Amino acid sequence: MKQADIKQAAEALFNEQHNPFGAFSLGSETHQAVTIPDAVRRCRWISVDINASAFGLFFVSPSPERARLVPCFDSDYPGIAVATKFISGANGEEIVRHTGNSTAPRWWADDGTAAMSETFSGLAWAEQMAPLAPGTSGIAFPVHAERGQCGLVVFLGSEITISQDTLYEIHARCFSLFAAVARIRPGDTGKTRAISKRELECLKLTANGNTSEEIARLLKLSVHTANQYLTQSTQKLNAVNRNQAVAKALRLGLIE
Amino acid sequence: MSSPAALLQSDTLGSRLTSRGDLTSFFMQLTEEIGADSYMLVAIVHDQDRNDARIVSSNWIFDAIELIGKRLIAGLAQGALTAAPGFRPKPLVAARAPNAESLVSAEEARLLDVLGHAEIYSLRLNVGRQRLFALFSAAAAGQIDQSALMKAQLKCCYALSHIPQLIAAAAMQDPLSDRERECLFWVSEGKTTDEVAVILGVSSNTVNSYITHAIQKFAASNRAMAIATAIRSGII
Repeated sequence: MKQADIKQAAEALFNEQHNPFGAFSLGSETHQAVTIPDAVRRCRWISVDINASAFGLFFVSPSPERARLVPCFDSDYPGIAVATKFISGANGEEIVRHTGNSTAPRWWADDGTAAMSETFSGLAWAEQMAPLAPGTSGIAFPVHAERGQCGLVVFLGSEITISQDTLYEIHARCFSLFAAVARIRPGDTGKTRAISKRELECLKLTANGNTSEEIARLLKLSVHTANQYLTQSTQKLNAVNRNQAVAKALRLGLIE
Repeated sequence: MSSPAALLQSDTLGSRLTSRGDLTSFFMQLTEEIGADSYMLVAIVHDQDRNDARIVSSNWIFDAIELIGKRLIAGLAQGALTAAPGFRPKPLVAARAPNAESLVSAEEARLLDVLGHAEIYSLRLNVGRQRLFALFSAAAAGQIDQSALMKAQLKCCYALSHIPQLIAAAAMQDPLSDRERECLFWVSEGKTTDEVAVILGVSSNTVNSYITHAIQKFAASNRAMAIATAIRSGII
């Protein structure tokens, strides 16, 4: 690449990241963050843009019984920040419930100054809540991904600058960040041995309520073979039985 | 930076949303702000193998809905061009259809064009765990302001979050009781009836009856299908 090209590319990148007057910007983050460090970097860009001092991304565990916030990463990555421990602890209960029913951002101001509370209360749609971590101020964005995964992106700081316009933009970027993270998070996808087309077909038919006998008839196989395919796919998905295999395959997007 | 008083009318309308009427005026206002002509708020209901659209709110003329049909509307709402929040939306331009995505046939595209939907954007809306779709369309291609549209998408999510009961009733996506949902979730995690019974602290007969109810409510033929239906509609 020539010097001039590099300069131009850098400028383009800079403009895209910092265009206070530009149209709706999704930042320069691509949608294909492939690793957690990539995602941390993307989240750091967002946090720089609103002048936050710390951030964290959480998953809302799907278990309805013990719904809680599971930390994925925060600004101390690969370590874990103290605030994260507070948020994923007992302080998170209310926001977990909120995330399940609503997409509206929530903020809190508990850093002893009036500045943050003034900034946040000027925002339409954002609601106040009890502090997620004591002695801090921050804003939390509920996010949702493709397969029903639920999460929360939190920004903390005493000098956060956010306007009504940037609120939408930041939330949109949190959504796309979470979509990328939700895709990589299942972790074991890389490790799962390739599932064959036939095995997926059998799984799909099972998901549609067919029994092994019916699958055998539909695919012109013996019942034994159909069962064998299902057992293999269950093993490959690291599931304990068919029900879990179907659930996993759906959540991973292997079948529709 | 934009001035702090950059509140649009849709912001004020939306954050005070309480009734069906408010919902209509909010969407009318929003449609105008982004330069669109029509809007439609759709919930997708899973009915056995196929999807059906349930229209929650819309200013499409009745005949347009009848002529185009709910099936096609469901296809448009959750088709390949549908943008999740945070993704750049791409329009379906009737004049350029049938295109690679082949969401509509030539005849359907002509109909859409004639009926004033030359350009249609489909947006996915997340209201907590509920999922809805908004279609914004205009009589002429290029009329809708894309960056305003992306803001509008989040405004819709926020606004609908204010009226969860109304949305849940309209969408009827989650027919399960809390207990039934919990049981189904644990079964989808590969737990047996006895294990679920231990986890929830009830008898295994009770667990079985919860699951049977869930299967019946989904009109599923067995556990695997009930789980699949629940996951597809984002319930568990």
